This record gives sequence, C-alpha cells and structure tokens, in this order.
Amino acid sequence: MGGLKTEEFIVNMGPQHPSTHGVCRLMLTMDGEIVKKIEPVIGYLHRALEKICENRTYAQCIPISDRFEYVTAMSCNQVFSMAAERLAGIEIPERAEYIRVIMLELNRIASHLIFYGVTAMDIGALTPFLYGLREREAIIDLFEMTCGQRLTYNYIRPGGVSKDLPKEFVPQCRSTIAMIKEKLNDYEGLLNENPIWLARTKGVGYLDPKLAIAYGVSGPVLRASGVDYDIRRDDPYSIYDRFDWKVCTRPNGDTYDRYLIRLDEIKQSIKIIEQALDGLPEGNIKAKVSPNFKPPAGENYARVENSRGELGTYMQSTGEKKPLRVKMRGGSFCQLQALPHFGTECFIADLVAIFASLDIILPEVDR
Amino acid sequence: MNGIIAFGELHGVFAWLYDLLASTGLSQPWLDVVRYTVLGAMMFVVLALIALFLVWWERKIAGHIQQRFGPMRNGWHGWYQTIADAVKLLQKEDILVDARDKMVFFWAPVLCFVVAFLAYIAIPFGEGLIVADLNIGILYIIAITTFTSISLLMAGWGSNNKYALLGGMRSAAQAVSYEVPLVASILVIILFVGSLSMVDIVNAQSGFMYNWFIFRVPFGPIAFVTYIIAATAEANRTPFDIPEAEQELVAGYNVEYSGMKFAMFFLAEFVNGFTVSAIAVTLFLGGWHGPLDGSFLPSWVWFFLKTFAVVFLLMMFRWTYPRLRVDQLMEFAWKFLVPVTFANLILGAIIKYAGWYW
Amino acid sequence: MTKEQLQTAITEKLGDKMTLLDTGRHDLMYEVKRENLLEVCKTLKDDESLAFDYYLNSHGVDTKEKFEVVYNLASIIHKTRIDFKVILPYDSAEIESVQTIWPGANWFEREMWELYGINVLNHDNLTRFLLADDWDKGFPMRKDWDAPGFIRMPEL
Repeated sequence: MGGLKTEEFIVNMGPQHPSTHGVCRLMLTMDGEIVKKIEPVIGYLHRALEKICENRTYAQCIPISDRFEYVTAMSCNQVFSMAAERLAGIEIPERAEYIRVIMLELNRIASHLIFYGVTAMDIGALTPFLYGLREREAIIDLFEMTCGQRLTYNYIRPGGVSKDLPKEFVPQCRSTIAMIKEKLNDYEGLLNENPIWLARTKGVGYLDPKLAIAYGVSGPVLRASGVDYDIRRDDPYSIYDRFDWKVCTRPNGDTYDRYLIRLDEIKQSIKIIEQALDGLPEGNIKAKVSPNFKPPAGENYARVENSRGELGTYMQSTGEKKPLRVKMRGGSFCQLQALPHFGTECFIADLVAIFASLDIILPEVDR
Repeated sequence: MNGIIAFGELHGVFAWLYDLLASTGLSQPWLDVVRYTVLGAMMFVVLALIALFLVWWERKIAGHIQQRFGPMRNGWHGWYQTIADAVKLLQKEDILVDARDKMVFFWAPVLCFVVAFLAYIAIPFGEGLIVADLNIGILYIIAITTFTSISLLMAGWGSNNKYALLGGMRSAAQAVSYEVPLVASILVIILFVGSLSMVDIVNAQSGFMYNWFIFRVPFGPIAFVTYIIAATAEANRTPFDIPEAEQELVAGYNVEYSGMKFAMFFLAEFVNGFTVSAIAVTLFLGGWHGPLDGSFLPSWVWFFLKTFAVVFLLMMFRWTYPRLRVDQLMEFAWKFLVPVTFANLILGAIIKYAGWYW
Repeated sequence: MTKEQLQTAITEKLGDKMTLLDTGRHDLMYEVKRENLLEVCKTLKDDESLAFDYYLNSHGVDTKEKFEVVYNLASIIHKTRIDFKVILPYDSAEIESVQTIWPGANWFEREMWELYGINVLNHDNLTRFLLADDWDKGFPMRKDWDAPGFIRMPEL
C-alpha cells in the first residue's frame, strides 16, 4: 500500500462547544484523529474591564473585579483589595482577616467542586456533575447568608469586609464542611480507581515542569507537575502563615494528577477553614477608610493563590480617586498560552480531557 | 406447557385472529399478506409505546441516580413528557444544509428507524407471541442490526460536516469491531441449542431456573458478560457512545439533523437498546419462562420483566461510567473481547462434545 | 531571601542598568532603559543568585505623559519578587520582545501591542487577539482614545 495521499485538515472546536469552558475557539490542525497543532483564538468575551476600572473609583471597581473571574469571585475581590490596601498602607482588623480566609477557602472548595463535575462530564461520566454542584449549593447558601449574593459577591473591600457574619454562619459552616469531607470519599470512590477513568487520564497530557515555569503556568497545574510553589506560603499574604496546612504537589504532570491534586486541595482547604473557625476573634470587620479613598501615588502588583493559579492585579495610582491603571492577570491566560506546546500529538478525546483538567475559565483570559 | 395454566395467556389471540381472517374468505397469498401486515402493525405499535416508555424511564433513572427527580410536570411524575417532546419535535423546522448529499441525508434516519423495528419480527414476546418464527431467527436479527452502522455512516457522510463524518467513521469502526465478540458469544449458546430459531432457543431453557444458559457454568456467565459488553457497544450506549459523544463531537453523526429526523435516530437508539436486551433475555435468561416449572404469570409478563431488568442494567452503565476513547475501545474489542469469546467458544465446544452438561 | 538581600544582589550585578524607584509598595520597583532591556532580562534569568525564571505579567501603562511597560517577575527557587519598568515616550513607542528569554511573554506582548499600540520588535505573531478581527478603530487603552458613541461617565 504505497503512499496513501492523506491531508491535514482544520477542525474548529468552539466557540460554542459543550466542553470548551466558556467561549474559547481552538483551531485544530488534525491528521486523521491526531491533533497536530492547536491555535487558540480568544477575545469573544472581552469586556474591556481594565478600561472600565480606569473610570471608576476604587469602591466602584470591586464589583467589576468580581466579574473578572466569577467562579472564584472572592479571590478577585481579595486581590483587588490587597492592591488598594498596599497602596494606601491600610492595616485591616484581625476579624476581617479571618473572615477573608474563611471565604477564600470556601470559594476554593466551590471552584474545585465545579472542576470535578465538569471534568467528569467532559470525559463522559455524566453523574458527578450533579454531585459536585449539590455540594456547592451548600457553600453558596453560606455566601448568600453573608453577603446576599451567590456568584459575584462584592464582599471583600479595601479595608476589610462589607458585612459581618450572621450568627448562624459558624454552625452552618461547620456542618457544611463536615458534609463535604464525607462526600469527598464518595467522589474518590466513584472515579479514582475506575479503570475507564484511569485509561482516559493517566499518562495523558504530560506537562514538563520546565515548560510550565517558562510559560508562567501557576496553581494546581504547576504543582501537579512537581513544582513546589504556592503563593500562600512563598509570597505570604493575609494570615495563612498562622494555620497548619500543607502545599499539595504531585509528581507526574498528567491529567490524572491534575485531577487528584484538586481533591487534595479541597482537603487542605477544609483543614484551614476548621482552624480559622476555631480561632475567629471578635472585633471590627472594617478599618476606617474614608469615602473619598485617595491612595497616595505609587504602584503595586498584588497576587493571590486562586483555584486556577495566580491571580494578580497591578494597580497604579496618581493620588486621584480613580486608579490610573488596573491590570488583571489570571492563571488561565498562561495555561491557555502553554496548551499548544504540550497538548499536541494526542487524540481529540485526549485534548478534551487535557482542556478540562487545566480548568480554564475564559473571562480570566479575555477580561 | 406443563404445570399451572397461567391467566392472561395471549397465544390464543393469534390463533383467533387467523381464524377471523380466514373466515372472511380471502385466498391464500392474500391471507398471509393481510395477516403479517396486521401482526407487523401491532408489533410496531407495541414497540413504539415501549420506546416512548423507555425514554421517560431513562430520564427518571438518570434523575434519581443524580439525586434529582427527572421529569415531574407533565402528568404524574412526568409520564407524558415523551409525548410532549415528540409533539414538539414534530413541529420543529427541518433545517437542511445546502451542501448535503440529498439522497444519503434523507435515507439515513429512515434506514435507522426501519431497521430497528425489523429485528422484532423474529423475537418472541411470549409463548406463541412471535410474528414469524424464522428458522434462521438469530442469524436474521444479527444481520439486520448490522444495518444500523451503515445508517450512521450515511448520516455522517450526508451531513457534509467534519464532526459528523468523524462520528460516522467511528461508529462504523466500533460496530464492525464489536460484531465479532457479539456473534462469538451467541455462537456458544447456539452450539448447545442446535438450532438458530429463537423459539427453539427458549425451549431449550424450559424447566427450572437453573436451565437458563446464564447459569450453565462455565461458558454461560462468560458468554453473558461478553454479550452484554458487546451489545452495549452495538447499541452505541455509554461507555461506548463515542459516535454521539456530546462533549467531544457536538453530537457526532446526528449534529446536522433537526426535528423529526433527529427524533427517528433518537427513538431508534432506544429501540436498539431494547432489542439487545430482548436478545439477551431470549438467549441467556430463559426467554418467556418463569423461574419455576410452569408459571403463575403469563409468559409475556415474564419476558417484559426480564427485558426491562436488562435495560435497567444498561441505563445504570450509562449514568455511572465515563466514556472510553476510540482507540481504547478498539483495543478492548480486539485484544481482550475477541480472544476471550473465542476461548469460551472452544471451551463450550469441548463441553458439548464430551457431554459434561445436563 | 529577603528584600534587602535581593536589593544588594541587584545593585551588585546590575547596579548601573537598573535604578530603584520609590513608587513600589510592597515589592521592589526598578527602572530600566530600553537599550539595556534584553541584557538585564538575561542576567535576571540566568544568574544563580537572582534566578528570576518565572514570568508573571507584563503590560503597558499610559500615564498621560508617557508609556510605561511594566514587567513582573518571580523566582521559584529564592521565592522573591521583582518588578521593573521601561519608560517609552509617545513618539517612539517600540520595545524589543523578551519572548526568547521567557516564552510566556508572547501573549502578554501581543495584548500590549493590540491595546496600546506599542510596537514589539522580533515578536513572531503580532495579530489580532482580544479585539475583533477587523478592528480598525485605534488602540483602546490609550488615555486619549474615544470611539464614536463612547460616552464618558459623569464625574462623581
């Protein structure tokens, strides 16, 4: 069978597609079933948030930062508030710090539950999606009780938090955490040892740690490739150094490890929340911040460890009540940038699994 | 049938029908034509109702596995949800892509739908309740169900769409690969029955429950397990539903179909699921026989109970397991199932020759 | 490695090319001249005591008098952070690409070109990114940009 004339063809995956997480278009050059080249085309969700922030006061920017990455909106609020507080040199009260940590970690668990459900759904197991969202509902109820919102919270503001915790919060939070800890065993039992799951995720999409560092990949994807770097420990912010928790890493950089590491992170977050609830002090929840908040001139790049990676906000102020420049940088941007370099030479089904395991959220990429 | 005469047996109905038709004075060829037409129409109606029921049942089962209720609004627990969906699909616009291959695009759903029902001519629903007891029964059924893969290929090609084509190609590869273990599992049973006729196969399992082929260790259970796996793949159900994988190919081969054409593919899929379960029940689970010698329930009740149990098993598979990748699917078929089924066949042949069975 | 140690190390290795600014709150902010950019970046990455191999972010800033290109870097081994900026006048808004040193800079520079109009030399793929493919209405992030129909928010 001499040279059979074959030709590579271009398949468009997205922008509307059940398994690109958001409106992302991937132009795949395929040779039969093997993906040879990936070219991401983004910008479908560009809302010019950074330009909008230049025309808003600092307090008005907080709801905008929510929309930057709405699955973990608390982290977006946190990083923005941190940047503003560092510019103005504000110290926030103890109680506010503890509440912030509790909210951030709860949000991290909620985001990882969505990851669990969506990844399972992309690989074909349709039921874990419902299980993950059911647990997330319990967490969202906690958020709604505190700040009235289920998705975009507008809660963590420069100076502290906007409202105090209602008195039912702590007992309900404890019972929610206990329930999630138990249900986690179900999740692991359903998929971790399943031969079909292992066949679909083990060894698929290996990400070399040097490639990951070169492209600025961060978060669970970086740690699943064996690089031990977590902003909460290595560039400390808030009060994470008071709690006893571990940075999770996994040695192989394949899809299976990227899936397992997020389940590990849920367990660590549960530990942090329990310790924070135990140590929650009384006091103010907001430092005194004038209504005409005008931080002195300066610039600052604040970063937090989001469930997707590093969420950074660069803020430059000239002493006015509106910032001169706000740049938001999300972890998904770098992971999508790195995807064409390690996601090729695989089947399209593997590409779907890899894309799901990176946990990319498009609003972060497009802003 | 010895033992207790059950109440509600229906095979007398067919005899009564035949007498009724003969009494109208029609001459022979026309008599048979009318008789088979009437029987075929009855079977079609029964199956259409079963398909509608199965769609509702699948949604309820999926809901309860996922800790939610499934359809609840249309009638008590949503029983006429499927009818409402069918009415909706009937009034949908039939979107036709300009660049399609007109003949192929049109005939693909028709072929899929028709072939799905044709297989039931040789399946016994109960004692004497079979449209035509062909002496090549099971061979006919296997041959007819193979046409489904042709119709999927036609759908993929006729849509003039890369995704659909990929889906069609995958379905053809999958169907062809899983035919071999399917037929090899069935062959073991045929060895012991000595005939291809479905009624003979069921009669070979008469008596108490231990006579059912699934309990005839060692070849019976192995054949049943491999049959169920191969049949799930033939019916394009998860974990083998690559041809229609929503998440990967945006519904694969039926991406360009809308309205009633899509409904035909959809219903045909459920009818196929029922077909493979019915074959499993006939070959391995004793057909219409009850567990005891003689039965207190009519034979068709036993048949439907057992078939719905197997369908339930297939539905549990769908909502529990992730999906295999296409090359893993092929590997599983050729490197695992084919050797196992052939070894089983040889084992069965040795047992039959040596007479080590009851 | 603490901030003071980092500051001494930088002054030692690159004292003449990087000048410390006092505008950085919480992290060190330096200024680098455009002609020294590639050399500074190479030293920052390759030198073992600095080892800034982790490229976090870069973007443009339009203060109303000049462009600035800000780079944010981190070091995984030493767990340190550094920022530096290059000041570009409006009429010669060009800068070399650092993607040969940090491949991750690729998309950041592309975005900067698209939104600010700062020309990035030696970049392999300066094409439309976040904006529409047929965008011809200028560079939106510049402070003097107003599209037709763009309504300025009333001052509060």
